[in-house]
Amino acid sequence: MPVKVIVACGSGVATSQTVASKVNRMLDKDKIDAHVEAVDLKSVDRYLKDAAAYITIVRDKKEYDLPVIDGIAFLTGVGQKQQYEKLLKAIKEYKG
Amino acid sequence: MDFAAASQWINGFLSSVGAAVFVPIIMIIMGLIVRMKPKDAISAGILLGVAFTGMSMLISYMGNIIQPVGEAMLKNLGIDLPILDGGWTTMAAIAWSWPYAILMFPLMIIVNIIMLVGNKTDTFNADLWNVWGKIFTAVGVVGLTGNVLLAFVIAAIQIVFELKTADLFKDEIYELTGIPGVTCTHKMVFLSAIYYPIDKLLRKIPALNHKADAEALHDKIGIFAENHVLGFILGCLFGLLGGYDPGALLTLGIQCAMCLTLFPVISKYFMEALSPISEAVSDYMHGKFEGRTLVVGLDWPFLGGSNEIWITIILSIPLTVLYAFILPDNKILPFAGIVNIALVVPAYLVTKGNLPRMIILSVIGIPIFLLVGTAFAPFVSQLALSTGAVAKDALGASGLISNSSIDGPWFTYAFSQFLDCMNGNFIPLGMLIVWLAGYFYMYRDMKKVAAKKAESEATEPAAE
Repeated sequence: MPVKVIVACGSGVATSQTVASKVNRMLDKDKIDAHVEAVDLKSVDRYLKDAAAYITIVRDKKEYDLPVIDGIAFLTGVGQKQQYEKLLKAIKEYKG
Repeated sequence: MDFAAASQWINGFLSSVGAAVFVPIIMIIMGLIVRMKPKDAISAGILLGVAFTGMSMLISYMGNIIQPVGEAMLKNLGIDLPILDGGWTTMAAIAWSWPYAILMFPLMIIVNIIMLVGNKTDTFNADLWNVWGKIFTAVGVVGLTGNVLLAFVIAAIQIVFELKTADLFKDEIYELTGIPGVTCTHKMVFLSAIYYPIDKLLRKIPALNHKADAEALHDKIGIFAENHVLGFILGCLFGLLGGYDPGALLTLGIQCAMCLTLFPVISKYFMEALSPISEAVSDYMHGKFEGRTLVVGLDWPFLGGSNEIWITIILSIPLTVLYAFILPDNKILPFAGIVNIALVVPAYLVTKGNLPRMIILSVIGIPIFLLVGTAFAPFVSQLALSTGAVAKDALGASGLISNSSIDGPWFTYAFSQFLDCMNGNFIPLGMLIVWLAGYFYMYRDMKKVAAKKAESEATEPAAE
């Protein structure tokens, strides 16, 4: 089973899927056994339980028990490299 | 085979297949042009066909459960709402089935480049997914005039307004979200031109300026916005109004829950199929304007961290149902479009997240969405049926499908329909004038406020 990473947006369709597709292609290229799944922000808590990291598009004050990655970076390209590295680290740590 | 025979064969072939074959073929060609690997281009193309077919299947299913309960409600209570509400996911699918849809990509990029080179904007619109919003307006123009060229001209005007509006709101968006270098280029923001003058009046009422604890409230009522819960409630409500017995009522509730749960799931495949192309375009634009600091235009969800937005959306759901039943000219039964983000996000921007004023503006806004949704039904349905995006038997006797939450409804209706004045209907033209007046008022007022703020910051030395 590939490691699960969650990205959420308002409908779970457009923005989150853009980020998911992009990161999945990056992971694929680097031969990392992980899969990014796009979900609906309104139901996100349910999906985070068995995920290695949460890529977020919004800035909220909530605390999460798992590493949080800034998803805006993958949309604008600014800081994308750092966020991707942070994600790789989270996946590695999750695998143990 | 000579050329004439070949082109005749191609024409015959294209008219014999629906959008589920036609659009993927165009997509694969486009993909190869932007230098995708052939296997990736073909995979994306097939996935797009899957998205179309899945959507069409789901719309048929929805039609087959909603039409009977609609008829039962008519018989039982005299509620006559024959237009099926497909929500934005269906509208996107139908818009993409328009034969010229793909040309909107280059139009959007060219207009953006011209505006950037001419220093008329600082925004680079990276939200290529919402190219369908321009296609949708164009479909409205073609539905009225039949003129494809004109449709692209009006779409270009929309693109310019999107960039200008994104420029206008960029500082405020930074203030609200704390995310640097981004703005919102979605056409839903256009409704701010109508909200802004009203909000100027509301700001004078001191009672509306208190801060609500939005987070606690959101935690309490958030469950109602989950797609499956919402679908179930709506289905049960429709069943109740239609006089269904408990078994049939609960069955309808689950069926409706299934529809609202699966729409985003299937819609995701559109996004996945289109993303390699939009990424290629995005990379190209980044490369072209390297060294210049651009504000990146995004779709609305990065604003979705605001509890005020979600509370107002949830409150608007029962209000929309109520309006739909009592508004005399409404013919749409709110269903898949009921989570109305386009109603609330402009109110959030105009009020800077003031919950009481957001709610008032939304109450004022709902009828606009229902009436424009009703008005757009004929064009949308005609296109959907002619391209096979929707099967005919899915729409029942009325043959009509639309959306109860068309983004930027006032703008979309006014700009796509104002030429109806040639047929003696001056309402859209009047709406266009009102929108422009509201827009320029908002533009000048926001610039004035920004200038004043900059001035006071300049005279008072910063605290640090």
